[in-house]
Amino acid sequence: MSNSHLFLKSGFPRAPLQNGLGRYVCQLQRVTLKFCKNHGASRGMREYIENHLVDFAKENPGVVVYVKPRRHRGPVLVGEYLNGDREWLYCRNASKDDISKWLELLKTQNGSSSSLRLRKMWHTDLPSIQGPWTPFTLRSPEANMVTYPNPSASRPLDVEQSATEKLVELFKKQRFADEALEEKRAE
Amino acid sequence: MFHLRTSLRFLILNKSNAPLPVLDQTRCFKRWVAPTLRELRKRQKKLGPQEPQPRSGFIEWNYRAELFAFGKRLHEEFQLPMLQTALTQPSYIEKEKVRQTELGISEVDINMQDNYELSERGAYLTNECVQAFLKHSFPLIPLEGIVAFKEYLLSTEMLSHIAAHLGMTELLLDSDYPPSKESLARSLLAIISAIEQCNGQERAFLFIRDFICTQMNQRDVFDMWNIEDPEVLLKQICEERKLGEVEPRLIGNCGKNTVLATYYIGLYVNKKLIGKGFGEDVTTAVKTASLDALQELFSIKDNMRPLNFQAQLKPSNIKAVEN
Repeated sequence: MSNSHLFLKSGFPRAPLQNGLGRYVCQLQRVTLKFCKNHGASRGMREYIENHLVDFAKENPGVVVYVKPRRHRGPVLVGEYLNGDREWLYCRNASKDDISKWLELLKTQNGSSSSLRLRKMWHTDLPSIQGPWTPFTLRSPEANMVTYPNPSASRPLDVEQSATEKLVELFKKQRFADEALEEKRAE
Repeated sequence: MFHLRTSLRFLILNKSNAPLPVLDQTRCFKRWVAPTLRELRKRQKKLGPQEPQPRSGFIEWNYRAELFAFGKRLHEEFQLPMLQTALTQPSYIEKEKVRQTELGISEVDINMQDNYELSERGAYLTNECVQAFLKHSFPLIPLEGIVAFKEYLLSTEMLSHIAAHLGMTELLLDSDYPPSKESLARSLLAIISAIEQCNGQERAFLFIRDFICTQMNQRDVFDMWNIEDPEVLLKQICEERKLGEVEPRLIGNCGKNTVLATYYIGLYVNKKLIGKGFGEDVTTAVKTASLDALQELFSIKDNMRPLNFQAQLKPSNIKAVEN
């Protein structure tokens, strides 16, 4: 995440209004193509409007297409979505293929993706299927068969070794080592 | 040596022919940015909060095209006058009348119909259809549960949320902008009635199923239906189904008389376990256990199959359109 993303709105990938569960609704509601009639930077946009825009509008009757010529201003695509988002795309010197690709993107996404930082690539409404933890979850089945009072079950799990026990253990180790040495010498 | 001399000569020649371009642009800290932003902010603050601008006030706005696209977006065929009527609130017509009289027009004549009647019919249709869907999806739930779900689905909040996400905020003709939640909800109901009149009842039911009933997806059932006394309800259900007496039993407990006390309680009916739950004391544990048992009895567990949103429904007791 770079500094330019610090103030970006963040969210999760979500389908608005359970889209696609009943029927699919294209989330792009209107698109405005702004261009200049004689500037070179709008050449691709003009070509797109001349050759492909009518087809686009016929294929997507649910999207209202507005065309707005403006003198000596850069070409711009503005998409407006059903969730109220508005996406502004500057298309200076873009070819007509570029523009058709950008329009395809506007048509297929469900909001302004460039103004949303995805916190995760997935999301769930039910984060836990097993419920809150209790002392009885994931308990060993052996614990069901124990008869109480039971000395081993009533002892705490984390009894530390006392200093005396440590010393005894050390002493035993030393004696074992000494015995081994003597045996070797005898050989 | 010769090479050096020729190259030097070339350099001099070049210099005399084309002078080097003057670089008057320099990279520097832009000291004007912060003061400008500060000034703009100050002016904005002086103006105060601005009203949201209706999209219809823009130059690129064609209401007819918008209405056409609205129908196509929802995959419905509308007659545009009917759709226009469904999207006209009575308050808008009132406002227009007042405006015309203020302008000095003596005989106010507005050829517009409001959506009041349509929305009434739509409310009736939606109510019936949603109820049929819920009864079909949750056959084991008693009527009070169905009513709670229905209230959730048909609440003004939910209907206005759906209407806003279908793009009706901009299209709705209302006296004020942005339109209130009530008017959005009313006009969504009017749209449903308009679909019934344009395409027949089947399409209207499909619309209700696809856009309203689908809001039940992935919702926690007990969020919508707040059961006050689950133990009483469980007792009642067991009596109705003749299962027997409900008997709570302690399965386990730990941390007695501490802040971290936990009681694990199972509910038994005829020596059969029907539900279990935890709690910090016995009464809470019995409550959660009865909720668990109710989920089991109504088959609305968290891991239940998703609801069938492809079901073709036909509410039986629907009245025909009163024309």
